[in-house]
Amino acid sequence: MQVVIEKVNSKDEEQAVIKAVEITDEISGAVELLEGDSKGFAVSRDGKTYIIKASAVYYIESVDKKSFVYTKQGCYDCKYRLYELEVMLGGYFMRCSKSMIINLKKVRNVKSQISGRIDATLLNDEVVVISRGYVKEVKRRLGI
Amino acid sequence: MNKLKLWLEQTMMISFAILVGILIEGLVYAFTGDPLSSFSMSWLQLLSIVITGAVCSIPTLFWLTDDLPRNKFILRIIIHCIGLYAVVALLGFVFKWFEHLDGFIFMTVIYFLVYIFVWLVTLWFHKRDDNRINKALDDIRDDE
Repeated sequence: MQVVIEKVNSKDEEQAVIKAVEITDEISGAVELLEGDSKGFAVSRDGKTYIIKASAVYYIESVDKKSFVYTKQGCYDCKYRLYELEVMLGGYFMRCSKSMIINLKKVRNVKSQISGRIDATLLNDEVVVISRGYVKEVKRRLGI
Repeated sequence: MNKLKLWLEQTMMISFAILVGILIEGLVYAFTGDPLSSFSMSWLQLLSIVITGAVCSIPTLFWLTDDLPRNKFILRIIIHCIGLYAVVALLGFVFKWFEHLDGFIFMTVIYFLVYIFVWLVTLWFHKRDDNRINKALDDIRDDE
């Protein structure tokens, strides 16, 4: 495949366009790599440590200065703080409130409440709240 | 900056709604016998409408922008509605929008119509945002 790299002036302008006849495993891998989904990080549960991929995470919540990572397989403890995870994961992971990071790729749909905050229903049917202060950033990340 | 933008938007929306209300008042008078040509507005009345819109927008910035549960938020809306009604009645008295009881009743009707209109427009904006966000989420959602 021919690869073209064009230099741009700011981070906002950065993008990768892939033109392909079909989405092969290699292309999916490249997309994961570019979007940061393939990044793994250490979590623990019941005294055991695991490495989980960012793409497996639904959301991360901070309670009493401890971070908890929620996946399809359940909840894990994480040694990283929310602001560290936010920088580490990037891409479609973003703050939806002071104590939570959400993976936008795991959101099934959203519904605004009368107060302006948004209820986001995840693929596991859990509902998390996107505070009104973060709604603008959600739109920006989605290119709206 | 966001508050300033919200304040200007609300001021424009309320001023527009009051003007529509006055237009309805003019049409009612026209249909009940008064010739439409006798209906006129002075620059002071127009200015008073914009001032009323600007003043009525201020409580919204501080009273209705918190993340609250639905019940508490609705309670705040009721208090906000009654409080603003008192402010509008006072401004109406100062700007001489009414001289007799029928004028006061008409202003009251217009006030509640404007209040409902502003909320309907706000909810329509929310609905439109929901649709745009959900459409954007469809493009990035993980398959599970």
